[in-house]
Amino acid sequence: MNRLPLPLRIVGNGATSVVLAFLVMPILAVLPASFNKASYIFLPPNDYSLDWYSRFFADGEWRSAFMNSIEVALLATAIAVTLGTAAALGLRRVGPKWRAFLTGLFLAPLIVPVIVTAVALYRSALDVGLSGTILGMSLGHSLLALPFVVINVGIALRAVNDNWIRAAAGLGAGPWTIFRTITLPNITPGIVGGAIFSFITSFDEVVVAVFLAGYSNKTLPVKMWESIRLEFTPVIAVAATLMIGIAIVLFIIVQGVAKASGRATS
Amino acid sequence: MGAKRRHWETVLLLGPAVLVLLLTFIGPLVRLFTLAFTDEMGPLATFTVLLESSVYRRVMINTFLVALLVTVVTILLAWPVAYALSKLKGLAFTVVLYGVLFPFWISVLVRTFSWMLLLERNGPVNRFLIELGVTDQPLALMFNDVGVVVGMVHILLPYMVLPLYAAMSRIDRNLLLASDGLGAGLLDTFRRVYLPLCLPGIAGGASFVFLLSLGFFITPALLGGANAITLSMLIANFVNERLAWSLAAAGSMVLLVIVLAIMAFAARLLPLDKGLVAK
Repeated sequence: MNRLPLPLRIVGNGATSVVLAFLVMPILAVLPASFNKASYIFLPPNDYSLDWYSRFFADGEWRSAFMNSIEVALLATAIAVTLGTAAALGLRRVGPKWRAFLTGLFLAPLIVPVIVTAVALYRSALDVGLSGTILGMSLGHSLLALPFVVINVGIALRAVNDNWIRAAAGLGAGPWTIFRTITLPNITPGIVGGAIFSFITSFDEVVVAVFLAGYSNKTLPVKMWESIRLEFTPVIAVAATLMIGIAIVLFIIVQGVAKASGRATS
Repeated sequence: MGAKRRHWETVLLLGPAVLVLLLTFIGPLVRLFTLAFTDEMGPLATFTVLLESSVYRRVMINTFLVALLVTVVTILLAWPVAYALSKLKGLAFTVVLYGVLFPFWISVLVRTFSWMLLLERNGPVNRFLIELGVTDQPLALMFNDVGVVVGMVHILLPYMVLPLYAAMSRIDRNLLLASDGLGAGLLDTFRRVYLPLCLPGIAGGASFVFLLSLGFFITPALLGGANAITLSMLIANFVNERLAWSLAAAGSMVLLVIVLAIMAFAARLLPLDKGLVAK
């Protein structure tokens, strides 16, 4: 029974290939659609051109949506990485009861359905005047990103040996020196991984952004969301292709960081 | 003095994150939920409206049925992939694993848009089906539950593959050899040894997929539309179209309570932090 009979193996391998194709291929469907020449979406296109790319970059609304996305994602990443790294360091120093409770609190934004979070944030943002602002969206996204930072840095921290810290303290190093020379270099891969997760989480996020964006500060996914429902032209495929491109670059960086730090994280 | 100082350092490290979460997450959630009890018709009127209207009941039933169907389909599709992962080594393993992990990195909106292109009336899938002679009319693959299930399965499949693979890779091969050696057939060994040992992975992955399905918004809204309304679409509709905040709040509470109940069940079965790190 260590090996299945041949017919079953063939069926199994065939099914695995089909499922993998189902997972990966559809994502690539937007690439040909973005190089369409016609004014409507048709797959595969009859004629190819870069028309819709120039349309995308010439259109002020699409361009500013793209810039807003970058701005929101950078701000959200900065907030999530700062709070999350400190929190992960702090979690190590509390007792098991507090640790379980606080970890639950930090992971909660992943568990609450995002539509509930979005509606709740929208309501409170209206009350305090953060609705329709870059800061409002960044805060909302940093909530969704925080768990990834806490988890990533937390895992990296497991590699930091308490004896190194005791040794350093015994040799007279202060807490800041210990952090800078021992803890930080060892958890840098975790921080970088957490930062990249945060960036892509925010950059790709739609639901919270749709509720918080308002009229003038749409992010790229929000603009896409509206265009899909209103016009459905190949320019949406251009935006989608850009988002895929950025995701692939970040994916490669994370793999590189994981490999460099000698860990097999996904 | 040393202990006291350590204590203050810990508070300084954890305090900012806790404070920000309280102000920008817990606070807004509590604020929203209080709105559920502020309806003019009485404090519990919103829940009565939600539960007694046949329209809303149908929305909830549809939400559950879609989630259930998505869960069953993901188990079936995840099975061969998880099994392959548990057996493969080297390059083949890496290729399959990356095939599973890569879609995680692509925006849900982009993937849903892709499926809109593929499932259109004149899209490639319909043309392929006509070419094969499966149908002579384009099928309605979108703006109904079919589109929603296809799109959601695509997004949630990795969440099922990973726990199932974890369970399969932990199975001791000697148990299977023993079963074989004691004269059990392939089917018996599968049914009485392999399957029971996979169950924790299936249960963990299935409850995770099920609870994520319940809260899905983007995919049903775009691929289902008015013909396949789910609870999350209803909540968005209460806020955006009808400005019915108390109903939106009540709907949100119902959704959250259901999700937390499933979560409590899932937490026993699934090493959560592992599943989550994979994003």
